[in-house]
Amino acid sequence: MPFVEDPAHLSKSRLKADLVAHNVALPPAESKKEIYVELHLKNIDQKNAADFSSDEEDPVQDVAEQEEDPEDTEMPDPSDLTDDDLKAMLLKYGVKAGPIVGSTRALYERKLKKLLQSDGHDRLNGAEKAVLYSDSEEEAEEEESEKLEPVDQSDQALQESSQEPVTDSFSDLLPDMKTTPTGIYATCRRPIRGAAQRPIQYAYPDTPISPMTLERREVERRLVPIQIQIFVFLIVACIVYFLFVNVEDGSFVSDLLDSLSQGYSANGAF
Amino acid sequence: MTSTSQKHRDFVAEPMGEKPVMALAGIGEVLGKRLAEKGFDKAYVVLGQFLVLKKDEELFRDWLKDVCGANAKQQGDCYGCLKDWCDAFL
Repeated sequence: MPFVEDPAHLSKSRLKADLVAHNVALPPAESKKEIYVELHLKNIDQKNAADFSSDEEDPVQDVAEQEEDPEDTEMPDPSDLTDDDLKAMLLKYGVKAGPIVGSTRALYERKLKKLLQSDGHDRLNGAEKAVLYSDSEEEAEEEESEKLEPVDQSDQALQESSQEPVTDSFSDLLPDMKTTPTGIYATCRRPIRGAAQRPIQYAYPDTPISPMTLERREVERRLVPIQIQIFVFLIVACIVYFLFVNVEDGSFVSDLLDSLSQGYSANGAF
Repeated sequence: MTSTSQKHRDFVAEPMGEKPVMALAGIGEVLGKRLAEKGFDKAYVVLGQFLVLKKDEELFRDWLKDVCGANAKQQGDCYGCLKDWCDAFL
């Protein structure tokens, strides 16, 4: 049994790959697994009946494939699910589905199919890598038994531990991103400021003015008239001084003063 | 965000009322006819579908492609138009 590949136990992607390897025309995309199995049986198993593929890798691969196949074949077909089940399945993948009504059912079924396929692909990749590592482990063990050197053992142990963890570094960088079917991640670009009717809004529309500058500005506003006032005052003072000097006898000034005092006293009487 | 078309701006400027489906951005005569044949003759019916899909971009675009064969640009225009209208009026 380990040497004969039973196509029903293989995954759909494995069947596809096998068909391509044997130059068999693939059925249209999104066909059911049974179609692939039929084609596989017809074309490939006839060939295998002739030659015995007795590679050592086969049992390892079959074991690895069979480990993950039962899970794959148990996956229900989205079109067979009830509305509630479909919603629950989508929720398992983190998709919060809206109402599943007539117009939305097909869309959600398709979405679930995509999620199942991408999940199957991921598991298949993991299985293939496990196969590679298990081969290297087998070879390493053989070498160990032959050489029996502790140094080699430690090196191989290190190699195994470094190869085994299969982590996707890209998805680690972006843990929040949803997986897309094409693997292309796109994020929205920040809008360009100042372009296309998007005026730049400055946080501080007016430049801040300190109280000192405000005072200085007010003083400056009055400074010019003040200068004029001082100038005029000085001119008047000069004129008065000249008059005072020119009039040789002080009687003119004293007459003025008397008249002024008379005027004041007259006013003061009232 | 890319700049919007005049059609988009006209649609988002006011409640859609009884506007025909061809008033939606991205939906021209050909697509409008196909939508009307499927029963989506008014813009509000397409809005209904948009809302039932919980305004999800991917699902709405897939649906639009299925129902009337819209290309990626038309899908994007229609989605953006409805989304902006909902932001403004819903």
